[in-house]
Amino acid sequence: MGGLKRKSSSSAKTLAKSKKKKGPHLPNSILKVIANQKRPLNSDEEDDDVIGSDDEHGGDLYEYEEGVPEEESRKNNRYDRHDNYDYELPEDFEPWIVFLVACHCESKSKPVLFTEAYPEGEFNPTRDVLEGKNVLTEEDFLAPLEGTPGYQKTSKQIARMRKDTKHVVHAPLPKPQRERLERKAVIGLVDEEFSKWVHLVKKNREAPTVYFNQDVDLGYSTVGAIASEFQPRTDFEKKMASVLNDSEVSMEDHIKDRNHIAKMRSLLFRHELKSKRIKKIKSKTYHRLKNKDLKNSSLGALIDPEMAKEEAMRQEAKRVEERMTLKHKNTGKWAKRMISRGLNVKYDGTKAAIAEQLQMNATLSRKMNSMRDGSSSDESDDEEELNDGSDEDTPSRLIAKAKEKTLRALEDDEVPNAGLMSLPFMARAMKKKNEEANEEAKRALEEYEEWENSGGENSKKTVNVSGRRVFGATAKVEAPKESRKDSDNFYDDSDSDNDMAGIEDNNIEPVRDNASPARNTITDTEKFDDDVAGNPASKTTFDVAMFASGSWKKMTGSKNTESKKASKKTRAPTPQAQDKKGSRDEESEDSESEAEEMVDGVLTFASKETFEVPSQAELINRAFAGDDVLDEFEKDKEEVLNQEVPKPEKPVLVPGWGNWTDIQRKRGISKQMVQKHEAEKKEWEQGLKTRKDARLKHVIISEKVDKKAEKLHTTTLPFPYTSKEVFEHSMRMPIGPEFNPSTIVGELNRPEVVKKTGVIIKPVKFEEVNPNDEVDDEHPRNHQKQRPKKKTSRRQGKVKSK
Amino acid sequence: MRIKTISRSVDEFTRERSQDLQRVFHNFDPSLRPMEKAVEYQRALTAAKLEKIFARPFVGAMDGHRDGISCMAKNPNYLKGIFSASMDGDIRLWDIATRRTVCQFPGHQGAVRGLTVSTDGNVLVSCGTDCNVRLWSVPRPSLEDSDLSSEKSTEVVHCLFFLITLYSLVLLFILITSFFLSQPSAVYTCKNALLAVDHQFEGDLFATAGAQLDIWNHNRSQPVQSFTSGSHSVISVRFNPGEPDILATSSGDNHISIYDIRMSSAARKILMRTKTNSIAWNPMEPMNFTAANEDGNCYSFDGRKNEEAKCVHKDHVSAVMDIDFSPTGREFVTGSYDRSVRIFPYNGGHSREIYHTKRMQRVFCVKYSSDATYVISGSDDTNLRLWKAKASEQLGVILPREQKKHEYNEAVKNRYKHLPEIKRIVRHRHLPKPIYKAKAESRAMNDAKRRKDERRKAHSAPGTVVTESHRTRRIIKEVE
Repeated sequence: MGGLKRKSSSSAKTLAKSKKKKGPHLPNSILKVIANQKRPLNSDEEDDDVIGSDDEHGGDLYEYEEGVPEEESRKNNRYDRHDNYDYELPEDFEPWIVFLVACHCESKSKPVLFTEAYPEGEFNPTRDVLEGKNVLTEEDFLAPLEGTPGYQKTSKQIARMRKDTKHVVHAPLPKPQRERLERKAVIGLVDEEFSKWVHLVKKNREAPTVYFNQDVDLGYSTVGAIASEFQPRTDFEKKMASVLNDSEVSMEDHIKDRNHIAKMRSLLFRHELKSKRIKKIKSKTYHRLKNKDLKNSSLGALIDPEMAKEEAMRQEAKRVEERMTLKHKNTGKWAKRMISRGLNVKYDGTKAAIAEQLQMNATLSRKMNSMRDGSSSDESDDEEELNDGSDEDTPSRLIAKAKEKTLRALEDDEVPNAGLMSLPFMARAMKKKNEEANEEAKRALEEYEEWENSGGENSKKTVNVSGRRVFGATAKVEAPKESRKDSDNFYDDSDSDNDMAGIEDNNIEPVRDNASPARNTITDTEKFDDDVAGNPASKTTFDVAMFASGSWKKMTGSKNTESKKASKKTRAPTPQAQDKKGSRDEESEDSESEAEEMVDGVLTFASKETFEVPSQAELINRAFAGDDVLDEFEKDKEEVLNQEVPKPEKPVLVPGWGNWTDIQRKRGISKQMVQKHEAEKKEWEQGLKTRKDARLKHVIISEKVDKKAEKLHTTTLPFPYTSKEVFEHSMRMPIGPEFNPSTIVGELNRPEVVKKTGVIIKPVKFEEVNPNDEVDDEHPRNHQKQRPKKKTSRRQGKVKSK
Repeated sequence: MRIKTISRSVDEFTRERSQDLQRVFHNFDPSLRPMEKAVEYQRALTAAKLEKIFARPFVGAMDGHRDGISCMAKNPNYLKGIFSASMDGDIRLWDIATRRTVCQFPGHQGAVRGLTVSTDGNVLVSCGTDCNVRLWSVPRPSLEDSDLSSEKSTEVVHCLFFLITLYSLVLLFILITSFFLSQPSAVYTCKNALLAVDHQFEGDLFATAGAQLDIWNHNRSQPVQSFTSGSHSVISVRFNPGEPDILATSSGDNHISIYDIRMSSAARKILMRTKTNSIAWNPMEPMNFTAANEDGNCYSFDGRKNEEAKCVHKDHVSAVMDIDFSPTGREFVTGSYDRSVRIFPYNGGHSREIYHTKRMQRVFCVKYSSDATYVISGSDDTNLRLWKAKASEQLGVILPREQKKHEYNEAVKNRYKHLPEIKRIVRHRHLPKPIYKAKAESRAMNDAKRRKDERRKAHSAPGTVVTESHRTRRIIKEVE
């Protein structure tokens, strides 16, 4: 109790003291003296109180010493805790603890006896404090209470409190620290708020165009839109609406429709099942029959490529027959008579009939596949190459080869026993042909032997003797008669080459096998040896012809300019020319041209004997004898250098310029000018040295700067681009409407921000954006909401989805 | 030999109407047009020159105030209306289309320092050095709408007999409208002078800045919440349009602070070397804001990382007084004490455009119109000025073909803007002499400083002298 009282009194004193202290600042010792003197003047009440209080502690002489200013006393550590007791009290707060603490503090602040010269303070603590003795504890306060009721309880509580550190109320943190912690917490929250926008902002930034004209509500734009929103109000409108609604699809119709679709679907399903089942059947006969059916239906040709091939073959056979028989080419008895009598001109009916026949002939004999016309010529080219290769062989080897082949051809003499070839007339024709071929082969063999004996020198002569030309010439005379007699083979001659080429292209092997012997003459030479099953006769002829033409070519080929063309033309018909004594006009032309070429060949061959081939270097030297290229190049380079790095002009004395004539002449060129010239010269030399082609003698690298093109170049890479390639790529394509289709011009030219004057742009609203989504620019240009109702419905949908 | 024939079906080539354009076929093979690049370059050059020719940004001035304009506010809900307040306590509502005062709001004693309008456009809040916050109800726009157009239409409709009476009526009408005075719906008084006010986006809170930051509700005479920080006063406050509870303030002790009004203390604080006069949030990127600084630069910050600015926007030669973002978020406009208005790209270091006139004095406030087409500046010379945001933009109705042409010109120009000739033309601006001189001077000073720094660096041990980047140079620290 006493403690409390003292506290109040002391606080009153300090207040008074602080008021007094407003005067000049005096040292404490002086103040003491003054206070002592003034004491009688002061109010008694205060003094009494002070004395009284002092009395309790044993009569202190220096009572005024205790009235230290608050600030000074606060310097003491023990007072610090006082300031911070304005925090909220815990729930289990008990007021008596405060009382105890207060007592504790007060007791320390008021020493009983001042033996020190200076007042007790932070820097001058009492000895008791220093030694740790005589410090008041809770026990000291509890001691007088011992024995009173409730003492046990209190002491227990205190003991518990000492153990229990959890419930001790600590002093709060200093304000700056506290604020820092608070801020940290707030920062976390605010950053979270901001971070949720990142994806949206990123999307907006990366979008090539941002649209701000979307929220324009134009209301209804079309009549249809208005009509769709129409609600009948008046009686009349309602009546109309009911009538209109009645005309709509009824339920029955709908059901009917649905049933129909269901039926179709089930049918389809069954069909599928059936086809699956059929596919599973392994029986070959079944499939054969089935295929036959399919074939008969002629629908199969469209489906099956195998069948198509067969069909083509059948067609081909028909055609062959037509071409052989010439049934429809006015060769019939009736047609001949009509024509000879001129009735076909006279009567329209006859004319029409003949025309019809011709037409039929045309259709039948028309080439079926003319898709790749060029292939035949390619083949012939190949042959030619082969022949060219053989040219390089020595004549003796060639002869040996030819001989060998001829012999082999003579040996195998087979007659096919199936197909078209097995037909009696065909067989007869073949036999005849074979005989002829054999004869020819024998003759050829004799010739070979002769050549072999005579050696390579005679080759020229023998070629002349080979006699194809002669045959050709005779054939020309005989042609008109013979053409009728053996028309079957005759007509084959005309375009057998082309025919075969066409068919071969389609890979129809069987046809080739069945084809007429004449045709086989032109088959690929590489396959020739393998196809032993083919016609021996024709093989023979081919080989012979090949050899003959090859040997002929060897001579003409050296100088003849049109040798290739000629050989291409002539080679195909030659076998026939040898086979038969007959040939056509076309062939005769060839023979004529060949005859001429032959003459050429002879001439060149003769000159070749005296000609020595000069070396390459010599040739070049001779060709460029007149011009001095190196010198010219050097001159050119000098010119270019002069243009790009101009040589500085030498200073010249110009009388009348710069000085008086006489004096100038005496003095010579001024020093300044010479110096300037020297500097220029140095610069020029430096310029020459730094050129890229300075050390390259035979190269001019132009370093001319095109001033007009310079304005189209940037000196540095523009900002957003990080590499030259990307920048150049972005500039590669033009964006104008002349250079681009109108569908993309709008997109190419679209500005970054599309806005509309007069439309208020609202700040961004938060929406979830998937960061993995790519930015799509398929935004419609004028994306205007035209139906407000739709918008609301969408919003509702969103709410629902949430 | 194959002969290529032209075959065109009648259906495709018959026009529906005689006005329809004929179909034209183009062969877009680039080999047919070897000069396309040169052609486009030439077009870009022409477009750049045309842009210069048509650059007439000044639309008109609005005069009526008797003292310098201190602040402005745009009506977020109505394009034509703009509020302005002057140093003598006068508040006016302007009709931008006619450039006339529609309404006045008298009451403030002394300068009005802050103006703001609620998002619905119904409530105007003003505050000033007289320690008052005044709330005004904004007159309905229909009144202003029927201003001139109704006059004309009535003139046309009515016959001559009523002409005289009509004119008198019209005159009366104009008189009424020009002296239309509004009464404040509420007056709240504070202890200290107020320097800025801003309204929350889509809410009924507003914040005033003075000795402390106060958050108010429309209907309460006392602040709902207040934040104190340091001994210096808060000079500007701006709410985030995207995040309505977040606001940024700048204070006289060179701090920029971000607050969340749901919390009790500031979230972030940046200490800079110079004072920030105004802050603007990017309306399209809620985490970013730009601060208009006293040192003549603007600093763009990311609200999450404040230790360095994201971009430093340099060009003004004197303190930047006000800043406002374009609603597109791609540009912002600044008004400066150097008597110029500039438009910056949000991510560019230098301005795209400078606006100035002979008579325009210190610019204290700027606003970007809500449709991003106009810029309004208020200056010391008591005038509001209306500018086009794009100096050479064609106003009025534009036909589609015309629009396409404009777009193409713009695209081509943008494409070749790196090339020297076009760059020169596009960048060229005539500057007022004082600005030109000040720029040259500051450039010389900067160069000298840079040189000196380089030498210092060269002559000291490596690593001891570190040149700080421009983005962090003016930021002292982020307060922990």
